[in-house]
Amino acid sequence: MVNSKESKKTKYLNPYVGGVLLGIVLLAANFVSGRGLGASGAIKSAVVSSVSAIAPSASEKSGFIKEFRTEHPGNPMKTWLVFEMTGVLVGGFLSGAFAGRLKFKVEHSPKITSTKRLLLALTGGVLFGFGSQLGRGCTSGSALSGMAVLSLGGFITMMAIFGTAYAFAYLFRKNWI
Amino acid sequence: MKPLRLLALFIIPMGLIIAAVPQNKTKPYKLTADQLLGEANTRTQYVAPETVADMIVKKDPSFQLIDVRNQDEFEKFSLPGAINIPVSDLLSDKYSDILNQDVKMNIFYSNGTIIANEAWMVTRQLGYKNNFVLEGGLNYWFDAILNPQKPASTSPDEEFAKYDFRLSAGKALGGGLTVKTNQNQSSASSKPALQSAPKKKKAAGGC
Amino acid sequence: MGPLSVNELISENTNLFLAFIIGIGFGFVLEQSGFSSSRKLAGVFYGYDTVVLKVFFTAAITAMLGLLFFSLFGWVDLNLVYVNPTYLTSAIIGGMIMGVGFIIGGYCPGTSFCGASIGKIDAFVFIGGLFLGVLIFGLGYNTWDGMYLAKFLGSPKISTTLGLSDGVFAFLLIIIALVMFRVAEWAEKKFPREQY
Repeated sequence: MVNSKESKKTKYLNPYVGGVLLGIVLLAANFVSGRGLGASGAIKSAVVSSVSAIAPSASEKSGFIKEFRTEHPGNPMKTWLVFEMTGVLVGGFLSGAFAGRLKFKVEHSPKITSTKRLLLALTGGVLFGFGSQLGRGCTSGSALSGMAVLSLGGFITMMAIFGTAYAFAYLFRKNWI
Repeated sequence: MKPLRLLALFIIPMGLIIAAVPQNKTKPYKLTADQLLGEANTRTQYVAPETVADMIVKKDPSFQLIDVRNQDEFEKFSLPGAINIPVSDLLSDKYSDILNQDVKMNIFYSNGTIIANEAWMVTRQLGYKNNFVLEGGLNYWFDAILNPQKPASTSPDEEFAKYDFRLSAGKALGGGLTVKTNQNQSSASSKPALQSAPKKKKAAGGC
Repeated sequence: MGPLSVNELISENTNLFLAFIIGIGFGFVLEQSGFSSSRKLAGVFYGYDTVVLKVFFTAAITAMLGLLFFSLFGWVDLNLVYVNPTYLTSAIIGGMIMGVGFIIGGYCPGTSFCGASIGKIDAFVFIGGLFLGVLIFGLGYNTWDGMYLAKFLGSPKISTTLGLSDGVFAFLLIIIALVMFRVAEWAEKKFPREQY
């Protein structure tokens, strides 16, 4: 029942403290680069890079890829977001190392199998990847960073994400609780 | 104290302050007072009326005349192709794209030069480039271009050259005298060079 | 005056390097707050772990207040800061698809990188899924570009749309967030949490 004393095996920051720190990071991003954080754009860079390298004819036919290349002449991987996400990997790793949380594992509710969890993760990823392009950002880029600058579009996307997730939560409850 | 209470304790007053205080809408200065004074004293912001007349006649697309008087005066008379940005509205957001750019030369003019020069100083201090002032303003324009005085017969040749040029320009621009067109006129001063303003970058972001 | 990069006070390469450093901060804080665990992330939808709500909204209001105060002190020019554009149709539909992806997969792109950095295999798989999802979108772009570009409203701010000043809206959001936090704490007491 009580939530503050359990989970002795791994210690996390107080969420409000974490929130303030995250807000400071977001503020720094806006102050330094005039933009907020983001994540899905780095995946977009990776996709554009790979498709252009492996199947150049397909990249010619896709307006999506061509538009990206015109906006980012040069190496598609040399973007703000790719550098930022590389930093995220390093930062997460350091944090996990300090807290002793580094371990290869599939994290899942005891009520489902590992395999099922991996399938769910894959499905969720495909949906999220597709949706993030349509929504022009994910929870970090559109919702969080959008809120910080009071963007209407960011706010709408955030409501759509969380609203829909809540709506479908009952359907998928067996996977989590 | 519980973290939530602590957070609320800090954040509510900050929220109140930010809600109550009016927003900072000042535009930043890019030049110090010294720099501006130095530039103003070199008088490079002035453009001779002959140059402007020449550009109008040749239909040069690289310039834009801006009438900084109020709307009534603009409607009574304005130079060809001029747009009206009354000096009182100079800093409004809707004109910032016109005043802060590196595609055309903007040439401010008013009846004399005081108001046009005022517009130049204010926009220059904000760091805008490619804005100039019509030397002598409309008063001088009328005298020099539209009704040029024939120089005395003892004047040097250049004076006659200038006069001929002004005649032909004046005819093209609405002055009343008949004229013989003279092809060999070049303007008395050369056009100021267009300076490229730094690309106004807006940060990209999102995705 | 900020933003440093847009005002050309730092070079493009310095900007990219600082992006890396900012990313380290981002990843570190996320992981420290537990966002590397898909079970913690999904908890907000069932009430047993509301860390997502608390961190998300605290961060949003901290950054929002920070930017407004910076602007007040003349440290940043808010006109040069990126405001996400609003394309009504795709914002809603994309958000809905992401919502389903979130509740199924338990991650979002940022947190999946975080989870991957500490070895969560489901996070790796999620990232693979992300790649596929973006690929599908990109290759089939001609099919949905109509929807993607529909109803472009520019880059309005919520405050302007509601007719409030930025500061007043920020204050309202703070109050709403604090109320939500209170509700979240109640929910965590009510819905028991398993050991994970």
